Amino acid sequence: MSGSTPWVIERGAPDYPECLSDLDPPERPVLHVAGEPRAVAALDDEAVVTIVGARQASGYGLRVAERLGRDLAVAGVTVVSGMARGIDSAAHRGALSGGGLTVAVLASGPDVVYPAGHRDLYRRILDSGAVVSEHPPGTRVRRHQFPARNRIMAALGRAVVIVEGAQPSGSLITADLAAKLGRTVGAVPGQVGVRVAAGTNDLIKDGAHLIRDARDVLDLLFGVGVAEQRARLERAPPPRPGPAIEARLRGVLDLVGSGSVTVDRVAADARVAPRDAAVALARLERLGYVVADVLGTYSPTGLKPAE
Amino acid sequence: MLAVARTFAILGIDAREVRVEADVRTGLPAFALVGLPDAAVRESRERVRAALCNSGFEFPQKRITANLAPADLRKAGPGFDLAIAAAVLAATEQLPDGALADVAFAGELALDGSIRPVPGTMAMAEAASRAGTRAIVVPAACGPEAALGAGCRVVPIDRLEQLQRLGGDGEPPQPAPLRPELNGAAPVPDLADLRGQPALRHALEVAAAGGHSVLIGGPPGAGKSMAARRLPSILPPLGPEEAIEAARVASACGRSVECAVAGRRAFRAPHHTVSTAGLIGGGNPPRPGEVTLAHHGVLFLDELPEFGRDTLEALRQPLEDGAVRLVRARYSIELPCRFQFVAAANPCPCGTGPRSGQCTCDPASVRAYEAKLTGALADRVDISIAVEQPDLTSFAEAGERSARVRERVIAARERQRHRTGGDRANADLAAEEIEIGAEVERLLADVTTAGGLSGRGRERVIRLARTVADLDRAASIAVEHLEEALTLRRREAR
Repeated sequence: MSGSTPWVIERGAPDYPECLSDLDPPERPVLHVAGEPRAVAALDDEAVVTIVGARQASGYGLRVAERLGRDLAVAGVTVVSGMARGIDSAAHRGALSGGGLTVAVLASGPDVVYPAGHRDLYRRILDSGAVVSEHPPGTRVRRHQFPARNRIMAALGRAVVIVEGAQPSGSLITADLAAKLGRTVGAVPGQVGVRVAAGTNDLIKDGAHLIRDARDVLDLLFGVGVAEQRARLERAPPPRPGPAIEARLRGVLDLVGSGSVTVDRVAADARVAPRDAAVALARLERLGYVVADVLGTYSPTGLKPAE
Repeated sequence: MLAVARTFAILGIDAREVRVEADVRTGLPAFALVGLPDAAVRESRERVRAALCNSGFEFPQKRITANLAPADLRKAGPGFDLAIAAAVLAATEQLPDGALADVAFAGELALDGSIRPVPGTMAMAEAASRAGTRAIVVPAACGPEAALGAGCRVVPIDRLEQLQRLGGDGEPPQPAPLRPELNGAAPVPDLADLRGQPALRHALEVAAAGGHSVLIGGPPGAGKSMAARRLPSILPPLGPEEAIEAARVASACGRSVECAVAGRRAFRAPHHTVSTAGLIGGGNPPRPGEVTLAHHGVLFLDELPEFGRDTLEALRQPLEDGAVRLVRARYSIELPCRFQFVAAANPCPCGTGPRSGQCTCDPASVRAYEAKLTGALADRVDISIAVEQPDLTSFAEAGERSARVRERVIAARERQRHRTGGDRANADLAAEEIEIGAEVERLLADVTTAGGLSGRGRERVIRLARTVADLDRAASIAVEHLEEALTLRRREAR
């Protein structure tokens, strides 16, 4: 079991998140909650951001979501998401690694982990954050429960940021709900032609705020350049840089970051022999800049080399 | 009267002696066939009857009993026809005296009395020589194949009436020896067809030079199976012993031995719907599977994750041992299967890759797919190379021809032979057998402590580095060789 017994917050009770009363009609009269009461109380703060996105996210989307989650957590913002695969769990992980508060809104009961593979993540969220659900403990996931969950996520955030989403997708529906509730909607731009970037690029075209990093989100929440949260982010030590690397390796690292994921592609784009490309990738991997999957496809870890 | 003719049954790729006893005596005309015959063997009666009549012999209007001994061995296939006919003819004194003495027979009869080829004549000829038989009579089409394995005289015949010459004065013609040249076989596709993709070419070259197994990953249309099909063209030709073993397998499976004799390595690419018995071998009597057909050649599994889990699981042991052991109630046989393993896979069921942002797969199916790629079988893979669709611009330039690559591969194998004093490729060596310098050892330790290598992964990378160094004509493994090997190696599940 989770180690934390779920409790109930009734609508109208002092600790019931006020922002949920914007929902009309309201979903259910009670919320089932587990985890840290502190995290639940934080939902009534100004600084709550919902980050959602595609389950079949790209490597780029996952890196951006995790980075956003971490930096917002560092700045003292509570990160709300849905604990789904892909962007949602990357945002939660980021917030946890930033040492901040994160709240997962579940479509199942507060003690039912879905997807089951996220048991570890669920425990970590319970330890320092909270999970919130409309459904009593023991409720299994049903397809029709997801739209309702999305409504709650949209209502909880003062701003809602979509990191990746296909057209059509649940993430876009959440964005739509958020806009109807009067929440600020932001979207992270993606590469043209990529399936999961279609929805977010459309949102931006339709007037959503363009989100590049946590600063853009903080500007949305508190106005440009006024908040102490922003200062906190700036005071926070930047992520530890990786070891210094020579210019040639840096060039190869940039290529991997921009989508050259095979040895052949790196060799062709860097105009070097495949053997040299292989050696360069081996060095980058050893230094922690890139990782390869079981098929031998490379992706960057997000580590930045020291200047 | 009673007469006995010798023949052979094929079990796997070996021949077991079978004696056909024919007893012909007065009584109501009948033809009984006993000794665990299958349907094809039982129908042999009708073929024998017609072939005898159509070859100018007389089919006895008597009670005939033919027994295939040993009676507890299941007999399958039409290869016993000729021996049954010979035994009946001898029992009715239509053949010269002593025609059956120390002679073995193998062949299927056509109704007009001509002899059709049967599988396994090479193994039969070998078994006949071991049993001290003077000669073996085989279908004319199988003559050269039987002569490959024979220590005794091979008598090819194409019609039943030629049996009359046996034991007579006239020396029957000897088959012409099989020449190592290919007449009908399609040419092996050339590596020059692979445009661009130098890293993929190099990975194949390393695989060929060290006998390493390869996993090629990438989206549909990236040329994965095209590349795999070209691996045999850069492998060294079969050695004399390997050629004989490969020919024995081909013969037992009723395939042409021409390619094996010409030194060409087998390339087998079973479809992913293949059954376990089809892949590993099985049935009763047991028949070789794809792994055995790929003996000394290449076994290619395209769309690896689409294969059945049990099928892949069953492949592990043959891959490790180089042999399959099939156990039946009364006996067990061992089939050789030393093959080079090549597999190809899409990054996910829809082929676009789960981290591409283009994937439309259900996450659960992606995970099931990845589980197959990281399962126990994938653990036996040395090299993994990811490919993408080559640029249109690279289609203009033809790649290096297989013959040139093969020269380097042969030279690298020569170095391995020289170093180990044996016939083992680097992939078959234990890591301790490979010398590594202090600097390389340090680098390996670095990577291992950083969590990048397991014990097995470390050994794999050492073997690969040795092959990379061999291709570089280097006596010892340099740091660059190890780094290249680190990139080539198959990653473990994270």
